[in-house]
Amino acid sequence: MLAETLSASILGVDGVPVRVEVDVAFGLPALTIVGLAGSQVQEARERVRSALRNSGFEVPARRITVNLAPADLPKDGTGYDLAIAVGILAASGQLPRHDHLSATALVGELALDGALRPVAGTMALAAAVRDAGVPEMIVPGGSVGEAATAGVRAYGAVTLGQAIRHLAGLEVMAPGPAELPASLPERAAGPDLAEVDGQQVARRALEIAVAGHHNLVLCGPPGIGKTLLLRSAAGLLPPLEDDEAVAVSRIYSVAGLLDRRTPLVRARPFRAPHHTISTQALVGGGPRVRPGEASLGHRGVLLLDETLQFRADALDALREPLESGSVTIARVEGALSLPARFTLLAGFNPCPCGWRGSPGRACTCEDAAARRYAARLSGPLRDRIDLWVTMAEPERQTTGIARGSRPPEGSNPVAARVAVAWRRQLDRQGRANAELPAPQFDEQHGFAASFLELLARRGRRFGLSPRRMHRTARVARTVADLEGEATVSALHLDEALRYRAVALP
Amino acid sequence: MIGVGPAGPIVGATPEGAPGPAADGSSPRAQPRERGGWNTLELRDLDPMAERPFWVTLAQLPGVGPVGFARLLHRFGSTRAAWAAGAELLTVLPRVADDGNAALRRLRREGPPAVLARVERATRLAGGEVLTALDATYPRALAEIDPRPPVLYVAGDGDAFEAPGVAIVGTRRATGYGRACAADLGDELARAGVTVISGLALGIDGEAHAAAVAAGGRSIGVLPSPLDRVYPPRHRELARRMLASGGALVSELAAGQSTGRPDFARRNRIIAGLARAVVVVEAPDRSGALLTAAAAVDYGRDLHAVPGPIDAVASSGCNRLIADHLAALVTSSAALLHAVGARSGARPVSVATLSEAEGLVLGGLLRRSASIEELIGRTGLRTGVLASAVTLLEARGLVDNYGGATFHPTPAARRIGAAADRAR
Repeated sequence: MLAETLSASILGVDGVPVRVEVDVAFGLPALTIVGLAGSQVQEARERVRSALRNSGFEVPARRITVNLAPADLPKDGTGYDLAIAVGILAASGQLPRHDHLSATALVGELALDGALRPVAGTMALAAAVRDAGVPEMIVPGGSVGEAATAGVRAYGAVTLGQAIRHLAGLEVMAPGPAELPASLPERAAGPDLAEVDGQQVARRALEIAVAGHHNLVLCGPPGIGKTLLLRSAAGLLPPLEDDEAVAVSRIYSVAGLLDRRTPLVRARPFRAPHHTISTQALVGGGPRVRPGEASLGHRGVLLLDETLQFRADALDALREPLESGSVTIARVEGALSLPARFTLLAGFNPCPCGWRGSPGRACTCEDAAARRYAARLSGPLRDRIDLWVTMAEPERQTTGIARGSRPPEGSNPVAARVAVAWRRQLDRQGRANAELPAPQFDEQHGFAASFLELLARRGRRFGLSPRRMHRTARVARTVADLEGEATVSALHLDEALRYRAVALP
Repeated sequence: MIGVGPAGPIVGATPEGAPGPAADGSSPRAQPRERGGWNTLELRDLDPMAERPFWVTLAQLPGVGPVGFARLLHRFGSTRAAWAAGAELLTVLPRVADDGNAALRRLRREGPPAVLARVERATRLAGGEVLTALDATYPRALAEIDPRPPVLYVAGDGDAFEAPGVAIVGTRRATGYGRACAADLGDELARAGVTVISGLALGIDGEAHAAAVAAGGRSIGVLPSPLDRVYPPRHRELARRMLASGGALVSELAAGQSTGRPDFARRNRIIAGLARAVVVVEAPDRSGALLTAAAAVDYGRDLHAVPGPIDAVASSGCNRLIADHLAALVTSSAALLHAVGARSGARPVSVATLSEAEGLVLGGLLRRSASIEELIGRTGLRTGVLASAVTLLEARGLVDNYGGATFHPTPAARRIGAAADRAR
């Protein structure tokens, strides 16, 4: 007999509906799974067999063929277990009612005792199910919130038996909560800005970068607070908007990083990978494509501390997401696109020893070595940096220790200013200033004709490429937003230009 | 460190007590001037045109430098005679390596006229000409020094060598302070009609050349490399601008050679030789600029040094020159002009209408260079306002940070400051 159940597969960070066809026929007893099933899927045979037996069902001593359609899509993972088990029961006449099966998607990994275990990417799978017009979904108990967030009627089953009883109409479960659950921490934890002494210029640039989603470089000798400043950005980020939260949560779900109790990420992502990270881990990829740090930082911050210590190919791979906001992974079967629109925060020393350009300190690097080091930030990458601050060791009298009177500003007032500036951007254009397309540099967005003339003049004076000029205009827009001004003025432009990138040494 | 002047007396104690590097591969230190040297040669007796092919050909021998060349002339009387002596000429050149013989055989196969034609063609392709020490157009300043380059490859305006020249030299790893000083001095000298001579290196050299060209003056760049391979490549554009504004490029290495490393020591001696006075703007304890300083003392040129803070590594060489009474201390660009006997040139009247913030910032920077961080304390202005004011001043060409955190007033800003002081 033939039966069909519904499940879904992950492709990149998107779900794809998958039909699970089960045929139970006469022949030597066997269980075969076809449809480009990977090894994790092949092992489902053993899990399904045991789980069925231990849940009080019978595995028919027949020839069982399972086909995962579309058959040309490579499939991996353990989420098909539930759909396969239910399909076998339906095809062997152990599930009296079939009509539910066409309206209910099934996702979950089976334990040998018949318990259901959660799988990564439930949110993306649920979204695919919803988009395919399937109204209901049975997921492992813990994942019900995640699935409900995507907008399907989700039922959380703890065991295979519970799922079967629900499908058979014997013991109908209640659907999971449909409204978006609010997660508690709306900000990632980070050091407080009050811990950083002095460095007013770097602080200001950081505030601008965080407010308008501009890419920032802090370059300076060791021990002056680069890392502390960059890490404190985590506490300045405004919470995600609703649509952003759904997009980010799906990525986290696929990566298996979602907290199942609060399946909707509210805190803006703040990712700080170590500099030994591989290219694949940074931008995503792998045999079963997984989102990299660039995608995990989507709508948030990607902090690369000691940026120039990262592998050159890893850094270069960031060019594409920095420009287009997504990562394309080319495969034999076709290209796959992962969202990766992050704000890059970078911090590094000016040379291998760190002291080049510091008065009173001797740089011990060969000129060629220092140049090679600085050139690790390739030209195209350099061109995509919006704000560049060359930091210096503070002189004694400029630090708070000696000044005594004015303590450094803490994170809270800065975060409040950032939140206001962010709201202004959303109200005006519905997106961050860094994403404002050049054709929209018009009156409506606060750019007067005289401003654009000045921009062109300054661009010529400082030898800026058109791309750099556009980026500078966006930074100036954010400066104006932080100042609470509707129109971008020459003052804002000149401040934005102060943070322009410096040439190679 | 001040080491040993080429074939000359020791002009200064070496700080570490170590012997200075032999500045020239072919100049053994223990070579007293009396036995060889150029000043005892009777070059007037030689016919420049008859000598030229042999002269230029022998200059192509690897390992034959200014000292070895003089020794050849002493031994054989003329390059034509030296050439006729065949392999025997190598006996006077103990420093010529084993491949000297092979090179000599190769040159002999080619023949002096062909060698001359080849070298002249390659030099012309690089935009220059070949000058021998016998030529009337050979720079007069160099015709006094010993040892003297037998052959020079020169591009640009020969008149540049007639005007008085002052060399501005210093470290490649210049700080903003050093760069600002080099620009200030280069600007002032150029406006006074003094030719600015330097080595086209990154850092101080480049800054001095660029300021001179920007002020509309002449500038001579002495290359450590042949004319057809301007070193460093990043200053090729600067070299073009120098040529376009009546300056010149000089090299002691022939163009069109496939090999040959940049020769900084010989370059530095030519700089000192061409100049009437040498200013070391910024130099740490071990800097090529100190070789130029040593050569300047050796050739009897006036030596000046720009002082730096005593805890500044980048200025320690300069400070030591001053402490050892080898160099005069430069107190200002005007004082330097006076010291080299030049009259301050026409200053274009700079009029700039500055906003209040700009005025505060520029006034503060004219008193002392500072970072924005330090300006916050001095002016009490907000970071954003200061950042904006500094950029505007930068766009007007009044301040520069030379890639660092500290901002310095440019020569134009100093003129405004001086005008304001006079008005007061």
